[in-house]
Amino acid sequence: MSTDLATAPTGPGPVRGNPRVTRETAIRAAFYGAIALFAALVVYGAVSTHGFLTMTNVRAILSSVAFVGMVAVGTALIMISGNLFSLAVGSTAAAAAMIFLALLPHGIVLAFAVALLMGVVVGAVQGFLVGGIGANTIIVTIGAASLIQGVALWASAGATILPPKGDTSFAWLNGHIFTFAVPIYILFGTVFVLDQFLRRSRFGRQLKLVGENVEAARAAGIRTGWVVVGAFCIASFLFAFAGVELGAFNESGSLLIEGTQTYDAIAAAVVGGIAISGGRGSVWQGLGGAILIAMISDILLLRGYSEGIQILVKGVVVFAVVVLARLNRMRAES
Amino acid sequence: MSARIPDILRFRGPALRPFLTLAVFAIAFALLPQYASGEVGTANIANVFTSFAGIGLVALALGLTMIIGEYDLSVSSTYLLGGMLAVKTGGDSPALGAAIAIAAGLVVGFIQGFVVAKLKMSSIPVTLGGFIALLGLVYVLSNSKSINYSDLKVTLKLNEPVLTVFTERSLIAIGIFLVLAAVFAFTWLGRDARAVGSDRKAARTSGVRIDRIVIGTFMSSAAISCFSGALLAYSLAYATPNRTVAPLVFATTAALLGGVSLSGGRGNPLGIGCGVLCLAILNEALAVTGSAAYVTYLVTGGLLLIVTVVDAPHLLRWWRTTKAAENLRLAFAGRPATGARAGGSA
Repeated sequence: MSTDLATAPTGPGPVRGNPRVTRETAIRAAFYGAIALFAALVVYGAVSTHGFLTMTNVRAILSSVAFVGMVAVGTALIMISGNLFSLAVGSTAAAAAMIFLALLPHGIVLAFAVALLMGVVVGAVQGFLVGGIGANTIIVTIGAASLIQGVALWASAGATILPPKGDTSFAWLNGHIFTFAVPIYILFGTVFVLDQFLRRSRFGRQLKLVGENVEAARAAGIRTGWVVVGAFCIASFLFAFAGVELGAFNESGSLLIEGTQTYDAIAAAVVGGIAISGGRGSVWQGLGGAILIAMISDILLLRGYSEGIQILVKGVVVFAVVVLARLNRMRAES
Repeated sequence: MSARIPDILRFRGPALRPFLTLAVFAIAFALLPQYASGEVGTANIANVFTSFAGIGLVALALGLTMIIGEYDLSVSSTYLLGGMLAVKTGGDSPALGAAIAIAAGLVVGFIQGFVVAKLKMSSIPVTLGGFIALLGLVYVLSNSKSINYSDLKVTLKLNEPVLTVFTERSLIAIGIFLVLAAVFAFTWLGRDARAVGSDRKAARTSGVRIDRIVIGTFMSSAAISCFSGALLAYSLAYATPNRTVAPLVFATTAALLGGVSLSGGRGNPLGIGCGVLCLAILNEALAVTGSAAYVTYLVTGGLLLIVTVVDAPHLLRWWRTTKAAENLRLAFAGRPATGARAGGSA
């Protein structure tokens, strides 16, 4: 190519210092180097941390994966649909936990149903605003989070919701089957079913196309609005489900229950390798990311680092992963 | 040569809208005692300026990035970081604490702006990493606790009333707004920033140094946000780590009310100032009427959703043409109406 000739040295000898080749090599080296370094760090951290490779700890990691995985899978769906991520994850989960515990006196089935329905409804509204009229996801979801918190504060009068005394109808949610907690089985079941659904259904294929290029999808006659509404409904349903599990686990529900769910969910989806620009990725990747994030949290916790360090590390990991993904993309395009 | 007169001074077109919004809010607030219990006096106006000083600069910081078509999620963390750094390092000299906070903001802004500009990345994923990491840093610095500021003289001085309705800190905030407004109105920076926000390719072709504008905006945004946190921490005599996205909700709403658009290329600091004043008046109205905390959440969240919906691209087009109605139909029905072109095929 002419640009290569123009930039190549004119003297004798092999062509050296071709800027395109060196730049590409540098980007590739940086990308793979960083991934290898990261993997090595996690493995080193895991092996060298006292108490990491014990059955108790594996159980503990899986218990936290049960919650984070659920919200990460929901976030993955929103991300695949090309709409970044939701900042209402924690608020939706907290509200679901409060509804679930407050309605327990009317029976666990009703409590479960209303909590999950709330998730679907708030998801549908956000999906309509994002997918239908093209409003910005981040802003719609922080606005929604604010509204959900307002309603939750109003309805609970600021009090922490406790389950009725002696109620054991939800104890099975905290039970164990073959040493692992029940929510872990629920999570793996959900991911399996959702993955099959996305692979086999028209919705799944449309979701990826909408995420890849919404204009093209619209031109192809896909009802992009419904697809985004669907993605938000399923995602918000999963946030609410995680909230119910969290409420049952803590046996109390308040807005504080959300903790770092929102950031963990986004970090897990990003670390799982789901393209933040949309169109690519699977729900299994969300689960994989959640396991990695839970492992990192666990290593830091076992080594006695504070909550602040844990959040800091997650932020740095998110930053590094999105930058690396971009470098990788540039490599592919160059 | 009307082109030499800045838009804002001509008081025409979209630049005027935030002022009209502010006028509506102000009149409604003045009429409040006629419709609800509670009195409105100079003390309330002082409160409005106090809350303007508390969080107005965060809206300015976020608004600047929105003008160039980006969105800096990390402002709510840099805001906390600035306060924490100032309280921890400004014990002997408040100026030193503020300088350290500003320096930290410049560094954070440079890193994020550099990545956004040089790797041509969307700012949301980049600043999301920054947002989470800096939040963690604030928790680390503070050991997850509130930190008190020792020099009460500084606190008293900042809160001392000036001309009845102002305080020293609200004057500082207003001063920064005015300086930036002047920069936007009278130098090429404002024009270039809007050009970068509306059409980057066209801006590059016409000789705007995109990377410098982007990096510079991120640096000033983070520095303003950090300084704003420092100012608040000094005047409250403490800094506290806090995970809510409330500052982000407030700042976004204020910027959108102030005539900034999420799609970039529109808005100026004076408009953002009007947006902040609108929200400050609203907060004061809620306080005067003795509303409960949940009402604040509902009103701020609801207002944010309303301004976002109004700002949404399809709705705006709907308003002007019928094309967005067509888009909405396409989004949900999947088929264009007979005789109409399929909108925006790629």
